[in-house]
Amino acid sequence: MRLTDVLRRSGRSLLSAKTRTILTSFAIAVGAFALTLTLAASNGAQNYADTLIRNNFDPSQLIVTGDQSLFNKADTSNPQEYNANSGSITNQAGASRTVKLISDSDLSTIKGVRGVESVEPVIQLSLQYLTRDGMKKYSATIQAFNPYRKPALLAGSIPPTIANHTLILPEGYVSALGFKDPKNAIGQQVRLAMRKTVDQSAILAALTVGGPSAAAAQNAANTTEETFTVIAVTAKASTQVQPGTELYLYSNSDSVIELNDATTKDSANYHKYLSSLVKVTDGTNSTKLKDVQDRLKKLGYGAQSVKDTQATLTQIITVLQGIVLVFGLIAVIASVFGVVNTMYISVLQRTREIGLMKALGMHKRDISSLFRYEAALIGLLGGSLGAFGAFALGTVLNPLISKQLGLGEQRLLDFRVGQIGLLILALVVIAIIAGLLPARKAAQLDPIAALRTE
Amino acid sequence: MISIKNLSKIYGKNESHFVALDDVSFEVENGETVSIIGKSGSGKSTLMHIMSGLDHPTSGTVLINEVDLFMMKQKAMDDFRATEMSFIFQAFFVEANQTCYQNVVLPLEIAKVPLMKRKALVMEALTAVELSEKANKLAGTLSGGQKQRLAIARAIVNKPSIIFADEPTGNLDSTTGEKIMALLFGLNEKLGCTIILVTHDSELASRCKLQIRIKDGKLDAAPIEKAQIKPKPKAGLRRVL
Repeated sequence: MRLTDVLRRSGRSLLSAKTRTILTSFAIAVGAFALTLTLAASNGAQNYADTLIRNNFDPSQLIVTGDQSLFNKADTSNPQEYNANSGSITNQAGASRTVKLISDSDLSTIKGVRGVESVEPVIQLSLQYLTRDGMKKYSATIQAFNPYRKPALLAGSIPPTIANHTLILPEGYVSALGFKDPKNAIGQQVRLAMRKTVDQSAILAALTVGGPSAAAAQNAANTTEETFTVIAVTAKASTQVQPGTELYLYSNSDSVIELNDATTKDSANYHKYLSSLVKVTDGTNSTKLKDVQDRLKKLGYGAQSVKDTQATLTQIITVLQGIVLVFGLIAVIASVFGVVNTMYISVLQRTREIGLMKALGMHKRDISSLFRYEAALIGLLGGSLGAFGAFALGTVLNPLISKQLGLGEQRLLDFRVGQIGLLILALVVIAIIAGLLPARKAAQLDPIAALRTE
Repeated sequence: MISIKNLSKIYGKNESHFVALDDVSFEVENGETVSIIGKSGSGKSTLMHIMSGLDHPTSGTVLINEVDLFMMKQKAMDDFRATEMSFIFQAFFVEANQTCYQNVVLPLEIAKVPLMKRKALVMEALTAVELSEKANKLAGTLSGGQKQRLAIARAIVNKPSIIFADEPTGNLDSTTGEKIMALLFGLNEKLGCTIILVTHDSELASRCKLQIRIKDGKLDAAPIEKAQIKPKPKAGLRRVL
């Protein structure tokens, strides 16, 4: 029998038992639905992670810390030796632990490592407030602008070299600081206030000598304001590497260091940094980047590349993806039993037809094919129904999910035709495998016994 | 010519064995109508199944035009059946949820007849049984007699040299049965195909040119030629062993 004839007969057989065919296909469709959504969510999450990394990190840079444990699981069960260059960090559970910070001498050491082009400390400075004349004071954080980043601008521009005391303002502050619109903010001045680390003994001395008013004056003397000129207004990005950084102010590195120095002068944190950004010469070459990373690690520093960060994010996505995948596969496995059952029923119902076909000279192989193709068509129908259903639902839900999660134009569900095609093909193959035993049973039927079946 | 030599069929082994056919031999010339007659359980159906290659004998041979049926490999035997043999059954075995056309085209699909030739052959067969106007109707909508005519159309569509008819009128009333047999004998004359008719109806069997009576797996008597019953022999009618 020709393939087209076998297929046509298989299709006709399925059509003659519509309800059974649809119900069995639905079982496969559930698995296909879950797997299509899993794949789409996985693609979307991967895209999001890639965009996140691309928008926030320079691939030729390394994040270098004084303490290697920041990138690994820290052993907090043993006492740590005192180090003058240490500071404390708080983990998500609220527990504080001591880590080694980067000092100026570390920065010099790192700068001297072969292959290092430049090194800059990472400073996230919490300001006392941000304001302008006649406006309220707002809390704010400032950070040095990484030229690699290309944020969407609502107004102004970011020159290759940012001048001292110029500021990149996020759009969230535009109306708060009394600007009509982003354009109106360009060229305008704002004031950034820092509070010098409080010297408790000086306040106490002032209180003893001059009373409460003297103590208040002493405290006020710790606050200094610096004027910055707005050069650009950034749009709210959908791909923040850290939630809560949407309102970060940016200036050049020198200005931020200057502000940080003013804040930490005479304190233990003066010129101490949690991490630094190390630009590697020809760092886009992964071998060169890895060489420098290894050299820094040998010196006792923690060093992580963009790829490492990406791998961490991907690992999280993979685990989540795996969980959903397992549920999808369970649904597919359950549907396999449905196909086996349906095909066995089909063989039983068509025993006399099989007997007749064998009597008329149909080969065992063709009889077997008839049922295998029938199973394949069930797989195709179920796979297509599930994949199309997931695609339709995903297309409708995608904008809503993006809005809910604040992903902007990013889509969490990214459907890829090739993947869906492969998934349907895989389900067809699985259905064929499920149909193998019933098909074999049909092929092995004794034509005389089959023709005698009531 | 179909030549049956020393055919035996034994089911089971040792004490529980059952002899379905015991040393049966006869010959049938091409184009003859042959009836295999006997009571239920006499072995007539077993004989038909072995003659058509659906079952294997315990011993003996079936030669069709000098070709030993059981020396063929299964695939070759299937192909031989697809092109040279056809079947008509008491229970019709037409697919109720398929159209008459789809039922009749089945042997052509099995024999891999080119698509272009199929329609003409199917319509020719349906016309021969006067069902051409029902080609696109579902077989399930036909009456019993029409279903058997449809089964006959399916049996003749690939122009086989041998048609095995197992109690073809068993499920039909006498009038319809008579029409079906008239149709079958008419086709035999028109197409020249050999018809092997398995029946327990003596009257029906007597209309065949050759009668083979089976009793307890053995030939009950020497096969009888119609000429001996009705003295109108045609030249070339078979001498039967």
